[in-house]
Amino acid sequence: MLAEKYPEEVKQILGRYPPEQKRSAVMPLLFMAQREEGFVNKEAKHEIASMLDISETEVASIIGFYTLYHAKKEGKYRFQVCNDLPCALRGADKFLEGLCDKLGVQVGETTNDGFVTIETVMCLAACDKVPMFQTQSPNGIKYYENMTIDKTMELIEVLKMADKEVK
Amino acid sequence: MTKQVTLTIDGIQIDVPDETLVVDAAKKAGIDIPVFCYHPKMEPVGMCRMCLVEIGRPMINRSTGQPVLNEDGQPTMQFMPKPETACTNLVSEGMVVLTQSESAKEAQKDIIEFLLTSHPLDCPICDKGGECPLQNLTMEHGPGKSRFLFDGKFKMEKQIRLGELIVLDRERCIICARCVRFQEEVAGQAVLAIDDRGRGSEIISVSEPGFDSVFSGNTTDICPVGALTTTDFRFGARPWELLSAASICGQCPVGCNITFNTRREAKSAGKVVIKRVMPRQNEQVNETWICDKGRFAYHYAKSKERLSKPLLRKDDKLKTTSWSSATKLVAEKLGEAGKDTIVLASGRLSNEDLFNLKSLADGLGGKAVLYTEMGGGDLVTQIGVGQGTNFSDMGQGDAIFVIASDLYEEAPIWWLRVKQAADRGAKLIVANSRETKLDKFANFVVRYSNGDEVKTVQDLGGTGKIAQAFSKADNAIVLFGSDGLGLEGSTHLATACANLLEETGHIGKANNGLIGVWPKANDQGAWELGFHPEPDLAAILKGKAVYIVGADPANDNPALAKALKKAKFVVVQDLFRTATAELADVILPAQTYTERDGTFTSGERRAQRFYAAVPGLGESKPDYAITSEIAEKLNIQLEGTSSVLVFEKLAASVKDFAGLSYAKLAEVTEQWPIVGRGDLYYGGSTYENTQGLGVQLVSASDRGETVSIPKVRNDAGLRPKKDELLAVPITKLYDRGTTVAPTEFLTERIGDVTIALHPEAAKKLGVEAGKRVKISFEDVEGEAVVKIDETISAGVALVPRSMGLAIREPVVIKVQ
Repeated sequence: MLAEKYPEEVKQILGRYPPEQKRSAVMPLLFMAQREEGFVNKEAKHEIASMLDISETEVASIIGFYTLYHAKKEGKYRFQVCNDLPCALRGADKFLEGLCDKLGVQVGETTNDGFVTIETVMCLAACDKVPMFQTQSPNGIKYYENMTIDKTMELIEVLKMADKEVK
Repeated sequence: MTKQVTLTIDGIQIDVPDETLVVDAAKKAGIDIPVFCYHPKMEPVGMCRMCLVEIGRPMINRSTGQPVLNEDGQPTMQFMPKPETACTNLVSEGMVVLTQSESAKEAQKDIIEFLLTSHPLDCPICDKGGECPLQNLTMEHGPGKSRFLFDGKFKMEKQIRLGELIVLDRERCIICARCVRFQEEVAGQAVLAIDDRGRGSEIISVSEPGFDSVFSGNTTDICPVGALTTTDFRFGARPWELLSAASICGQCPVGCNITFNTRREAKSAGKVVIKRVMPRQNEQVNETWICDKGRFAYHYAKSKERLSKPLLRKDDKLKTTSWSSATKLVAEKLGEAGKDTIVLASGRLSNEDLFNLKSLADGLGGKAVLYTEMGGGDLVTQIGVGQGTNFSDMGQGDAIFVIASDLYEEAPIWWLRVKQAADRGAKLIVANSRETKLDKFANFVVRYSNGDEVKTVQDLGGTGKIAQAFSKADNAIVLFGSDGLGLEGSTHLATACANLLEETGHIGKANNGLIGVWPKANDQGAWELGFHPEPDLAAILKGKAVYIVGADPANDNPALAKALKKAKFVVVQDLFRTATAELADVILPAQTYTERDGTFTSGERRAQRFYAAVPGLGESKPDYAITSEIAEKLNIQLEGTSSVLVFEKLAASVKDFAGLSYAKLAEVTEQWPIVGRGDLYYGGSTYENTQGLGVQLVSASDRGETVSIPKVRNDAGLRPKKDELLAVPITKLYDRGTTVAPTEFLTERIGDVTIALHPEAAKKLGVEAGKRVKISFEDVEGEAVVKIDETISAGVALVPRSMGLAIREPVVIKVQ
């Protein structure tokens, strides 16, 4: 339970909004809930809804609307490759295909070790540095630009090592 | 302040208030602008873009503030470069709207083309087919062909259940969000929402149970495509095969205007049957909505368990007999009993039935008793709400006080309208001994201990903040119920409420007065016609001839079952062979109100007509006709051939009904919004009211007469003593009553019989939520599932009525 685990942080988030508009706190609370496992689980949805006096359906709808919120468990790192038109023109599609082949997954799937999920996203405003992607993980969101498949595979190894050390 | 502005739409000049939207102004001018997402009862969102029109406004010279004139001396019109949405633009002085220009028509055509790029062509199997806004508007405005070559229709599982009552077909949904907005804005229960975005958008509900709202059926009426359908009507019939009959919902005292859609079908052995219930517009009663109980619980009328022939007890067995021998015996026995006759009737009956029953009782010198556990009708009859009362007119400056009633469960449409009045700024005061769903919308929530109902009302006559909000209000209405109360408690409560209204001057004018949230649809009518409940019914039945109509006392109360066994003669007139009927000497089969004409009087004292929708079952007859047949054999002259004749007699003898007639009750006036004509896309498939808005009765207070209200002591209520557990009755919308339970798909919503306990009480008894316990009181024994309610006091337990435990009034119970 978020309120039990992070009482101070929850209090601080709720404190940012006037009580009659506390529903606005849904965004930071969802962000906080997602930090735990990389997605917002059912219990968190329920807790946030009752904390803010909104329905669970509304919370689910907000998660559904924003691409950075997730309702299902996927890989620890989400590699979100931009393949919008300008990126596609500069070879993002080819990069994506190659990366998927190398990892043995399709877009939207997760590697067997549960570490990487490949996703595509719309414009990340870095059209001049394609191929590019962002990673979304419990450690936040990070951009990687002017990438190649080799550099990406190296990056995955580095991230895995860092992950082990933490463990 | 609003002011009138003049604008021109397609060459037609029209004056409307300046807060009118272009789409509504056009509607008033008789011009239909196509819409999908716009609905006249909800805030505009401009999501679907279907209502694109060209709008021109007079060019204003900024230095002089005067319109710029052209060579002909006419104002120069300034049009936006692109068409605008008629649903989001307000009218303005001198505006020119073109709905048929080339650019407007092109835009409308394009929107249809876009919508159809991902709409399945399954009209032949779609329930909406025949009354589908998308289908109709495609025929009227669509391009006929698509230029869209990409084969990318949205494919989804054909049906998902949003709950047991509503089915969603996501492929058909055009994301107009009418359903989502209805639940949020109108119903105040945001249990629907849109998941994902773009082409992936879909309607979801994750509530428990699914689509947890008693207003859910309304979303199927306003859905402009076949995305939302009811499990009840799904694949039931095609709209063009259906006939319609105007009626009044018989489930609660709100008196919602409804339409029964019927069809003669092979499936029902060639009989005419009701296929669905639709709302019928009455802006003063239910607007364009009905609750799910009213929509779905009609199945009892066609139950196989219905009585179809008179039965007579012979050798201690009930055997079929003829009407003449049955009524002959009844007349003989009632005649013998004379003044020892008791007519026991419920508010399920129509005014005509009750009038005849009362006349029969009077003719014999007997007693007409109302079968109910809620009192106070005498006062409501005299005070009532002022003529012209309409919750929709209440808002800023007004106050509404709801006490001892869980409106959401007892009278959902009142809940909805009271909540909307609060949305408009009316001060809402909700007083109850427990939390109810209305609390969320209240300005003031008063939580009293059971037994303190009268005191709570009297405190409102004081000087506190809440009392001021009530007494200083321009208009104020009190709704009182019997939540946690029996006959005695609710009578005291009504008296206290009447006193409060009189002291604060909130009587005798529109939007002021007293409303009883009665358990039955026509309880108010019964009070009007002189029926009264009896405090100790069991005591007076012994040795009497009892004529029981539309009531099942033996099932509700073991003491009454015992008492009936000691009665001299019992005749039961009902739809079903009830527990009471089993004790009868004669059983007379009555028709349901769907099978005959009549009138009900709503809790707001509005007399309203209902019309026969289907033929009567077997040999059953209307209640008033049966009574008149019996009376005839006793030389008491009553009307029995037609309900209109009974009503004429009634209107001639009951003061508050003076001057009323069936013709008067059938009168209609123009209502806004305009619904139910050729333009289903505008207001939804709600029926237009062409058969009567009813008439609100004039009360003694309306006439300026003084009403004598007794005083009541503030310690009159029942309270639990130390170490006692006092069970108090509450009302559930979906219960096991005879007019609900036969609708099988409601079983899950009806659920188990429960007992709600305070956590402390549960702890003391060593039980927890979900546990089944044994309950006993007086002659009653039964089981219930424990629920925890932190909002009640520790000495009190809540037990729902009509759920299997015969609770009628606060009673001390034992729990094991």
